[in-house]
Amino acid sequence: MTTIDERLKKLEAVTQRLEADDVSLEEALALFEEGVELAKGIKTDLDAAKLKVKQVIEQAKGTFTMEDFDLP
Amino acid sequence: MPASRAPRTLEPMVSERVYTVSEVNRTAKRLLEEGVGSIWLRGEVSNLTTAASGHLYFTLKDDHAEVSAARFRGRVALLPSAQIENGMEVIAYGRLTVYEPRGRYQFVASLIQPAGAGALQIAFEQLKRKLEAEGLFDPQHKAPIPVTPERIGVITSPTGAAVHDVLSVLERRWPVAEVFLFASSVQGEAAVGELVAAIHRAEAFSKEGADLDVLIVGRGGGSLEDLAAFNDESVARAIYGCPIPVVSAVGHEIDFSICDFVADLRAPTPSAAAELVSPDRAELATAVDRAVTRSLRRLSAHLRRREEVLAASLKGYVFRIPGRALERLGQRLDLATERLLRGEREAWAKRARALERLSDVLRVADPTLPLRRGYSVTTRWGEAAPLRDAAQLSPGDEIETRILRSRIRSRVEEVKPVDDD
Repeated sequence: MTTIDERLKKLEAVTQRLEADDVSLEEALALFEEGVELAKGIKTDLDAAKLKVKQVIEQAKGTFTMEDFDLP
Repeated sequence: MPASRAPRTLEPMVSERVYTVSEVNRTAKRLLEEGVGSIWLRGEVSNLTTAASGHLYFTLKDDHAEVSAARFRGRVALLPSAQIENGMEVIAYGRLTVYEPRGRYQFVASLIQPAGAGALQIAFEQLKRKLEAEGLFDPQHKAPIPVTPERIGVITSPTGAAVHDVLSVLERRWPVAEVFLFASSVQGEAAVGELVAAIHRAEAFSKEGADLDVLIVGRGGGSLEDLAAFNDESVARAIYGCPIPVVSAVGHEIDFSICDFVADLRAPTPSAAAELVSPDRAELATAVDRAVTRSLRRLSAHLRRREEVLAASLKGYVFRIPGRALERLGQRLDLATERLLRGEREAWAKRARALERLSDVLRVADPTLPLRRGYSVTTRWGEAAPLRDAAQLSPGDEIETRILRSRIRSRVEEVKPVDDD
């Protein structure tokens, strides 16, 4: 799945394209639909997101392990 | 008896100058003042006396030597001098000079402060000047902080207040992020080494593929001594050399730490650092809604334009237009738009259905569609009503045939009924 950042950029691009003068109605409909899908996905992910925190431990040079980190 | 010989004397040569005492003291004074100038001097205070005039006279000494010193009353001090006393280790700022009447050289202090905090302050200023001269603070070295970081590194103590502050801000504003904690002590003797190691660890971890977007390095507030590790040269150089954008997050009693100057971005506290690296998801959601609203408005404009074009072209045409249906659908779309703007969720579905139907209608109603498929429409020349019955025509009548993108004017030669079906 693409990151939220990538989808935000895509949404921005879609919105901008929609504002161009040379967009046909068919394209405008498709763009709008795409924008709405992107927006729905982004908002769902924003709502559902849960902060993940890992403590990184270097076992040996260049070898890392991660442990879940809970606040003390 | 040998002839007495005049005692041998060494006379100054004519070209050599004979100084007076005053002159030699003045010369010594000039040489000291110009040659040494203002300096910082560290030593222990002894023989302290306060003259009736308010001037202080004392001796500064270390294990092997001493120098007489004075602080004259009424001198404008750059900083308030501490109350000094015998036995106190001080750091003083002043100049070396000679008290001419006595030929005694002395240190005249304009600023005196206890060695502890003062020494740190001086070391801070010296390091700051040194790193600044090397270009470590140059703005062109500052990397931009990404707006929506997905992977955030945090270097701090896992048991301190800072980690709690950073995580709770991120939890609220930007839980989309993954946080990677690199534990390090942040004060005490081990702190410098551990901080440098943690920065290198974060770099290596990032290079291994974790690809950190930003690194927060910091601790909560404390005294100048508590924050000493963040004023350390090797920590500063590790931050400067770190390829991940670094946000310094040192709680301050003083204004800045050395790390603040080398970091790509400086935050006054760990919470502030977390805020600076994270977008607010509520604001982001609003921005997303705005983008959709804007798109919807544009789409409506497209539709309106299309309706107008449609209506205009339909005037001269024969096809049945579901005009009322179109209007109703348009209204429904407007309504859905309105409700969408009010944030009603089910409006999404309605909008989508209304749009779908409207676009179906538009597709069906498109007067050029049959023409595109090769059909044509015939009218009497100059009339709009389509000819549905050949009986209406006679040879010699002028007619118009409408095909895609053209009108053809013809004269009827003959009218013959055919069996279509």
